[in-house]
Amino acid sequence: MRDVVVIGAGLAGLTAALRLARAGRSVTLVARGVGGLSLAQGTIDILGYTPERVLRPLDAVAAVPPEHPYAGLGPDAVAAAVTWLRDELGSELLVGDPAVNLHLPTALGALRPTALAQPSMVAADARGGLTYAVVGVRQLKDFPADLVAGNLARSTAPDGGPLGATAAWVDLPARPGEADPSGLTYARSLDDAAFADRFAVAVRDAAGAGDVVLLPGVLGVRPGAGRRLAELIGRPVAEVPLLPPSVPGLRLADALRARVAAAGVRILLGSAVTGFTADGDRVATVTVAAAGGPRALAASDFVYAPGGFESGALAVDSRGAIAETVFGLPLTAADAAGLVGPRYWAPHPLFEVGVRTDAAGRPVAGDKVVHPNLYVAGGILAGPEPWREKSGDGIAVATAVRAAAMIEGGAR
Amino acid sequence: MRRLAADVVVVGGGSTGAGVVRDAAMRGYTAVLVDRSDLAQGTTGRFHGLLHSGGRYVVSDPGSATECARENAVLSRIQAPAIERTGGLFVSVPGDDPGYGDRFLAGAAATGVPAREIPVAEALRREPRLNRGISRAIEVEDASVDGWQLVWGAVNSARAYGAKVLTYHPVTRIDIADGRVRAVHCHDQRRDEEVVIECAFVLNCAGPWAGRITDLAGLPPVPVIPGRGIMIALNHRVVNTVVNRLIYPTDGDILVPVHTVSVIGTTDVKESDPDHLPIPAAEVQQMLDAGERLIPGFRRARAVHAWAGSRPLIRDDRVAADDTRHMSRGMAVVDHLTRDGVAGLLTIGGGKLTTYRLMAEHIVDAMGDQRGERRPCRTADEEIPYAEGSRHYVVTHRLADREADRLDDQIVCECELMSRRMFTDLLHREPLATLDDLRRQLRLGMGPCQGGFCAGRAAGIAVTERVVDAERATGLLRLFLKNRWIGLWPILYGAQVRQTALDHWLYAGTLDIEHLPTPDQEVVR
Repeated sequence: MRDVVVIGAGLAGLTAALRLARAGRSVTLVARGVGGLSLAQGTIDILGYTPERVLRPLDAVAAVPPEHPYAGLGPDAVAAAVTWLRDELGSELLVGDPAVNLHLPTALGALRPTALAQPSMVAADARGGLTYAVVGVRQLKDFPADLVAGNLARSTAPDGGPLGATAAWVDLPARPGEADPSGLTYARSLDDAAFADRFAVAVRDAAGAGDVVLLPGVLGVRPGAGRRLAELIGRPVAEVPLLPPSVPGLRLADALRARVAAAGVRILLGSAVTGFTADGDRVATVTVAAAGGPRALAASDFVYAPGGFESGALAVDSRGAIAETVFGLPLTAADAAGLVGPRYWAPHPLFEVGVRTDAAGRPVAGDKVVHPNLYVAGGILAGPEPWREKSGDGIAVATAVRAAAMIEGGAR
Repeated sequence: MRRLAADVVVVGGGSTGAGVVRDAAMRGYTAVLVDRSDLAQGTTGRFHGLLHSGGRYVVSDPGSATECARENAVLSRIQAPAIERTGGLFVSVPGDDPGYGDRFLAGAAATGVPAREIPVAEALRREPRLNRGISRAIEVEDASVDGWQLVWGAVNSARAYGAKVLTYHPVTRIDIADGRVRAVHCHDQRRDEEVVIECAFVLNCAGPWAGRITDLAGLPPVPVIPGRGIMIALNHRVVNTVVNRLIYPTDGDILVPVHTVSVIGTTDVKESDPDHLPIPAAEVQQMLDAGERLIPGFRRARAVHAWAGSRPLIRDDRVAADDTRHMSRGMAVVDHLTRDGVAGLLTIGGGKLTTYRLMAEHIVDAMGDQRGERRPCRTADEEIPYAEGSRHYVVTHRLADREADRLDDQIVCECELMSRRMFTDLLHREPLATLDDLRRQLRLGMGPCQGGFCAGRAAGIAVTERVVDAERATGLLRLFLKNRWIGLWPILYGAQVRQTALDHWLYAGTLDIEHLPTPDQEVVR
């Protein structure tokens, strides 16, 4: 019997497990996969669009509508949670001010607002007059330097000033004869100092004009390679997150998972939670599909942070029924009919469907708490499409911190 | 304005038009094919991929059955790389009248369609996912065919015989003077230029749009009735053989393994506008139910895309006007000289992709009759050259290709194993193409992720190759994603919901595509 079982290994699950373990609770973290961080961009978003571009995210959090996941938290709690994460991971991994958004180029050349970023990224924060020397690597197909530079050059910085960009390429296989490595493979090579030096020389020689050298987001699996590259290249360097596997995302995941393990959390990855047993209205155990057969994990409290539709925690069957797949929790809609439509660029209300909670983060059916010892966090919560408003990380961290605090405080 | 001259202008770049332009060119006529968009973008690109053995028609339409059987053999010989010899089965599932099988076998014998009853156990051995309750199984020579490869092959052959092909050239007017066709006016949309083609003959192969072409010639309406059918593709092959219900033709009775997917089809609903073909939720459910009867568990398989196509049927007074399935599938050539007193204009309707070559033969023969000459048709005799050689398609061919070039080329579309070189070669040949135009030849973005990973890469490569600038590349990417969505949202259930959420995370989330500088006008072609 543990104090707490946390379900999910993404930003929310890792945050909740770490907070609870640090508070002295015995914690088991169980997840089907390895969490969503390595699919994401490796920065911490709070709120990027409302739908206008947000410059001061905490101010925007204060103004969200009442059904938004942030509404029950408030800007102070969001700021405290995100600041805790930044300080916990340290300035090797996360820098920035939760009150002010950065605007970082993407691998299509858009300027993406985010609150905290890795130190290897922030030199690219867009401001009027800044020019980028975009450098692609021929071996990496997910960083189209010409398209990135072309789009940046026709963009305006959030302060209204112009931006400039040039594009160039280096042709440098990380391993001889390897034409099509993943970003992760290339990043592993850049952890090797000798290869990183060769890479820096190639970039230095190839890069065109520009204040900041913009590189694909593969600058080492371990933090810190960006700084050394900047010294060798002789200009500020910024890396741009790529499609999965995301190396910056993996850095955050690795660092958090290491802290969770060091705090004494028992970690069961590759173990899907398939169901639960109840004792009255309390959750007694969750059933885990472990090697050798199903196994019940008992705990006093449970934190459910499995993600949303992208993880399969929320699912739609072939007749359009929407369901939460482990606890059968009530959702804001039960039928997908009419929630997706023909217009791609329009909102897709299906992806706003999720779980609603009380002020403590416990799922509710109407006004009634479903299970008094079950707390939810992260992407399973109902709310605007997080990818559009760039709010997923802030919601994950803040709701995970809330769940941990409620358990620590003995909320019943 | 540009002026051209030709013996014949073929209107419509679907399978019929492609067959006609090849046939006309091989008979020594100077020919120009025009289409309002890309080749094979209408009905030819929106079917289930079945190359009929004729089995489907042995009871309901014996004439079509015989034609299909013959043309199946011809196309398998002259266009082998576009065709996979999957073989086909007709099976009686529980509830079907097993006695229909006897009528089927008798019809097959009478129409010359090769068919052979096999033991149920043998059918289940070949296709283990089939309903275990089937009571009869008849083997036929169905195959699957890539409509785009078929059309591009025919068109390339036509070009080799001197034909010209003008895509994105909608017809704006057909000049008629003194009872004769004189010229076709088109608008070159990509250069924004008027093109006038002087000609003595116009062969109207516009399929469901044929009535619009005769309208442009100022003729009385040609009664074309679009019969809409929807298709759903699963992300893998649940069968490797074409599977048909052994019943009188109805909805949802065919499952076709084509490339890496399997396609269930289809419905048949009368429509008024072939440009706006819905994919109604009720018909999606109907297809899933039909799939479930053939393959138990079908609803739990992953659907990746749906589409609707429009049959180009010409009204036949012998059946009720709303019963499009039972109108003659036999082709009908409308001679506007006898019908409307205008020489030099022929319209063809009906038919099916399997008989496209034969349809072309008939309409070019009819043109010869009007000209008072008979040049022999040679299209069945000569193999169409393909880069892939003359072997039949096999689903694993790209795997072999990528094994061979994996150390010196990149895979841009992992789902469909499309290499960077495949993409750049075609891009340089078709620099004005949209990503969808390239997709139809390369299968870019047609697999499970529906462009989630490859579409942005393709747009980026097009800029690096100096074929387009960043603004157009961004517009092309937006257009591609928007078009993929048309076939995605109607089947958004099961695992594809997860995929779609991930794709949204990538494009809207990580890449923030919605906040690239907005174009003055969205790219549409």
